[in-house]
Amino acid sequence: MQREVGSLPLAPALRAKLVAAGFQTAQELLETGPCGLSKELGISKEEALEALQVVRQECPGDVARTAGGSGITRKCTALELLEEEQAQGSIITFCSALDSILGGGVQLTKITEICGAPGVGKTQLCMQLAVDVQIPECFGGVAGEAVFIDTEGSFMVDRVVDIATACVQHCQLIAEAHQEEDHLKALETFSLESILSHIYYFRCRDYIELLAQVYLLPDFLSEHSKVRLVVVDGIAFPFRHDFEDLSLRTRLLNGLAQQLIIIAHDHKSAVVLTNQMTTRIGQNQSTLVPALVSWLPRCAASSCHSKCRRY
Amino acid sequence: MCRLQPHPYYGRVSLAHFTSRRRRPQGTHGHRLGSMAAKKLRRARLSQELCERLSRHQITTCQDFLCLSLLELMKVTGQSYYDVQKLLCRVSRACAPKMQTAYEMKLRKSVNSSSAFLSTTLHSLDKVLHGGVPCGSLTEITSPPGCGKTQFCIMVSVLATLPVSMGGLDGAVIYVDTESAFSAERLIEIAGNRFPTYFDSDEKLFCMTRSIHLYRELTCGSVLKRIMSLEEEIISKKVKLIIIDSVASVVRKEFDTKLQGNLAERSNFLARGASVLKYLAEEFSIPVILTNQITTSLSNGPAIQADLVSPADDLSLSEGASGSGKKESGCVTAALGNTWSHSVNTRLILQYHDLPTRQLLVAKSPVAPFSAFFYTIEKSGLVLQDGKDQTNLTWEGTNPALQTIRVRNTALKDTLPDAALPSATD
Repeated sequence: MQREVGSLPLAPALRAKLVAAGFQTAQELLETGPCGLSKELGISKEEALEALQVVRQECPGDVARTAGGSGITRKCTALELLEEEQAQGSIITFCSALDSILGGGVQLTKITEICGAPGVGKTQLCMQLAVDVQIPECFGGVAGEAVFIDTEGSFMVDRVVDIATACVQHCQLIAEAHQEEDHLKALETFSLESILSHIYYFRCRDYIELLAQVYLLPDFLSEHSKVRLVVVDGIAFPFRHDFEDLSLRTRLLNGLAQQLIIIAHDHKSAVVLTNQMTTRIGQNQSTLVPALVSWLPRCAASSCHSKCRRY
Repeated sequence: MCRLQPHPYYGRVSLAHFTSRRRRPQGTHGHRLGSMAAKKLRRARLSQELCERLSRHQITTCQDFLCLSLLELMKVTGQSYYDVQKLLCRVSRACAPKMQTAYEMKLRKSVNSSSAFLSTTLHSLDKVLHGGVPCGSLTEITSPPGCGKTQFCIMVSVLATLPVSMGGLDGAVIYVDTESAFSAERLIEIAGNRFPTYFDSDEKLFCMTRSIHLYRELTCGSVLKRIMSLEEEIISKKVKLIIIDSVASVVRKEFDTKLQGNLAERSNFLARGASVLKYLAEEFSIPVILTNQITTSLSNGPAIQADLVSPADDLSLSEGASGSGKKESGCVTAALGNTWSHSVNTRLILQYHDLPTRQLLVAKSPVAPFSAFFYTIEKSGLVLQDGKDQTNLTWEGTNPALQTIRVRNTALKDTLPDAALPSATD
């Protein structure tokens, strides 16, 4: 309740008036009431009421202050956090080596970055994840849907059809081997058609469309609450060329990272980003590093594929 | 500044050393082909009053709006935090791409499946690529000089003009030639020998040649300008194939990567060109073919047996060279660097085998595994040699950006015919 008036999310003009009139804390505002406020500031009673409602939303109780319904600041013990993380499912890829490296699969509520040289299979892996996220729970999957944001144009529907068909066959083999009731029931809805219908594809041609799409993503995810995977194929690509203002680029990327972190956490989905490799020219030698390297600290897991076999 | 004329014989061009020039990326910053960024805020359904207020702060397009932080937006619009968030959503909705499910995409593809690929009439290659050169994405052909890039391009131009019943696309071709290597006589020779029954009259040949539009561009700037102007031409001339032969030659003439700042500008130019071409390819569902040259990659890796042809000219600084005079272990790979390798969707590499046989590798493709084929160049263009013993080939793919390419032996260089002219054998 000791929150300063200047930090409240009111319109700047109103804020300026409050400060000029001498208000310092949110508590003072609430004590004055709408009529008093309107008289002192010279604004209408409706405006004063609106301002007070905003203040109340921002500081709801005297005890533990929590920020608006986003749940970013919460109090809990590390044990609770550990239990929660372990209960979290992960997206399995049916490729045991990869799953074991990632600690069980691609983790939900975390951001995973995949970087690699061109042609090594980043988009292939993303397409596979978009199919694998839909594996029913009885087979070990998370039974979710997928959002695929493509900035490079390398999404091939035919290839997804191949992957999905193989996945369905794999599950059918498991069902035949185990002969359990729920396996067979799950297989009824797990078909090629349903897999393809639950991959939501967005093609972003430049960074503005990417920014716009990520702004709209929370609303989309609230409407489609079963989405458990957001793939952004080529996070670096739209930002790498034609950007004269490097500080703007850094700011936009940071903003993007923050929003994706919030999305991953709030909607309990995994966010997977692919990144290009670029050559960093050193003194005597050059190395391949992921592009836009300052991006890395924000990601929970980052796996680099370099010079690996394609098939 | 001296303008270097492209020399018809590859491999003997010596690059003049230009003085350091800071080249500014050309083209207006505001005009982006096919993007929503330049959409005026008026059309994003913001109120008139708000638009006027924003334009006083020089914010007129969606791009300007979305690049500002929330605090700046609050200051500029004079509205509260939550209202500004609602505004952001409204503007984003005006810019954001449309959603489609993968299922809808599949249905759409199966409806017009005939135009998903351009068959190259090289049957084994078509089988591996699930149909041929894919429409809607960029395909790159890389090879040392004289292997057959231009031959392949000329052959594919003929194929694109054929009617759909014969596997073609029944459309016009835009051929951007930067090396003056296109030969109309060779075009007619290939057409006549490959499809003798179809091109049985002069009339048919002239009809075909009329649909191939050739543009000679000699600088990076003019190539980029040409690419940007293609949108209207594609619609008016009913173009079904774009070929750019070759991207590498103009770029390497004008950007000397040893000079400061040129590497970044080169990547900038390439990325801009690639994004415009991708937009054209996707929007019109047509294939785009680009040709590339080779360079020497001097990394501290294992030495690959490759006979290097004038490596001093082809040094690619980005792979690291501590001194051009020293004998470094290196390998010959596709030029134009890593970023370009990311931009193309499919990469085919042509290389030498035992003369006159050459080899075609599928080095990068979203639908095909790494494969190799043998071919020769004959009167009718490229001819695959099926059934030749390929058991000694490695079937593992390596990093396509560093895929090593065999260059022909220096000693034989002078005795062999050039790429522009048909082979004197057969």
